[in-house]
Amino acid sequence: MRLRTPREKRILYIKTAVRWFLYYLLIFFSFIFMTSGTWMKPILLVPIPLFISVNNNQYASVFTGAICGFLIDISCGKLFGYNAVLLSFFCIATSLAFELYLKNKFVNCMIIAAVVSFIQCWLDYKFYFQMWKYDDVERIFWKVSMKVWMYTVISSLFIFLIIKLINRFLMPRAHLTIEEAIVNRNQQQ
Amino acid sequence: MREFIKSTRFKILLAFLAFLVGIMIYAVTKGGYSLTGVSFINTLSKPFRKASNSISMSFEKKLDKMKNADEYYDENQRLKAQLGEMNKKLTDYESIKAERDELRKFVSIKEEHEDYILSVPCDVMGFVTNDPFRSFTIDKGRADGIEPNCPVVTAEGLVGITLEVSEHVTTVRTILSPDLSIAAVCSSSNADSGIIEGGVIAAESARTRLIHVSPKHKLKEGDLMITSGSSGVFPKDYPIGTIKSIGYDSNGLSVTAVIEPCCDITRLTSVIVITDFSGKREDD
Repeated sequence: MRLRTPREKRILYIKTAVRWFLYYLLIFFSFIFMTSGTWMKPILLVPIPLFISVNNNQYASVFTGAICGFLIDISCGKLFGYNAVLLSFFCIATSLAFELYLKNKFVNCMIIAAVVSFIQCWLDYKFYFQMWKYDDVERIFWKVSMKVWMYTVISSLFIFLIIKLINRFLMPRAHLTIEEAIVNRNQQQ
Repeated sequence: MREFIKSTRFKILLAFLAFLVGIMIYAVTKGGYSLTGVSFINTLSKPFRKASNSISMSFEKKLDKMKNADEYYDENQRLKAQLGEMNKKLTDYESIKAERDELRKFVSIKEEHEDYILSVPCDVMGFVTNDPFRSFTIDKGRADGIEPNCPVVTAEGLVGITLEVSEHVTTVRTILSPDLSIAAVCSSSNADSGIIEGGVIAAESARTRLIHVSPKHKLKEGDLMITSGSSGVFPKDYPIGTIKSIGYDSNGLSVTAVIEPCCDITRLTSVIVITDFSGKREDD
């Protein structure tokens, strides 16, 4: 990206700051939502860092993944750090995958969210229920884990739209000079 | 990808992941106490969680009314019939009450439980997300004298045990959980004993189980199970729940019973923690 004037630089900094503020506001409200009430709820803090990773570098992704993971650990009563490790890893992988191989498209994002949330639910079931060999433990997989996964995938759609909206207004776009645009066009032809 | 793996960026990310694993291992060694970071987040988010939870609970209550209107109507009819029956019993109750008041001159409730040291009443902040065994968080913690492994009760009966204690927030494991085992005896016979331990199927209907009961038992439906106090974790003679049904376990060798807790664990709003009592086991 080419920034030519101090005004452009200032706008970029402000937009970036506002964008990250909105990301973390969304994370905070999702955490509050997850800790309220008695009903089964989607793990909103899984798709959020993944969708943030799609448009950001690995450092920002791993940090956001760790924060969201810690918050999941608190709200779901899991070992502190367990989900942080898991989400940090998946956020780096997502960021790399979209940087090197995948296009930033709705279908790709939803597939990533569905796969990662399934792995998260499955590992949660394995480590917290199946490993301890409770009687009728498979009921938890079908009645809790799969339900939570389904809710998470459905809610990912809304999370995607919210993050898309934030990015649309606040994500910096590449500025090209006329000469650069002409060169690019010639190369494409 | 190969370039990324060889880059400094990859090494930094790997170091960060190792750091997170370190935090996780450190958290295991804390023995029931939260890390400083958890305490900080819990304290910071406490007012928001309380507010959000009260909104969520009232919303769920309204939806519940709409969803289960027919069920509530039937329940209402049944309760009306029960009320008539109870009115008849009330006459008997009055005479028993008079007798009981006489007895209370000799032994008051206060004297019965003078060994208990209770916390201040704790509000239920919310239930642990998607936990099938209904663990929940309360708004009191280490600052209020609560420690890990303290019994949590209501006036009606035992609720569970404190699991993870932060400065101002505590997570409670309920008696619906298979990870909590409580030695119990029948209040009427005081001879039939067993272990109260949650199960996956029982927890779906907010009930728990009585296991390891002697085949020569004399238990019957409606019997009240109370704590035996033998473990030193729970005080003696505290009500747990009543027997709903008695049967055999899956292998058909030992007797099990379904227990309905004295208090409705899914609808808890406030509880009390017993921080100390006589006969409590002191952990090193």
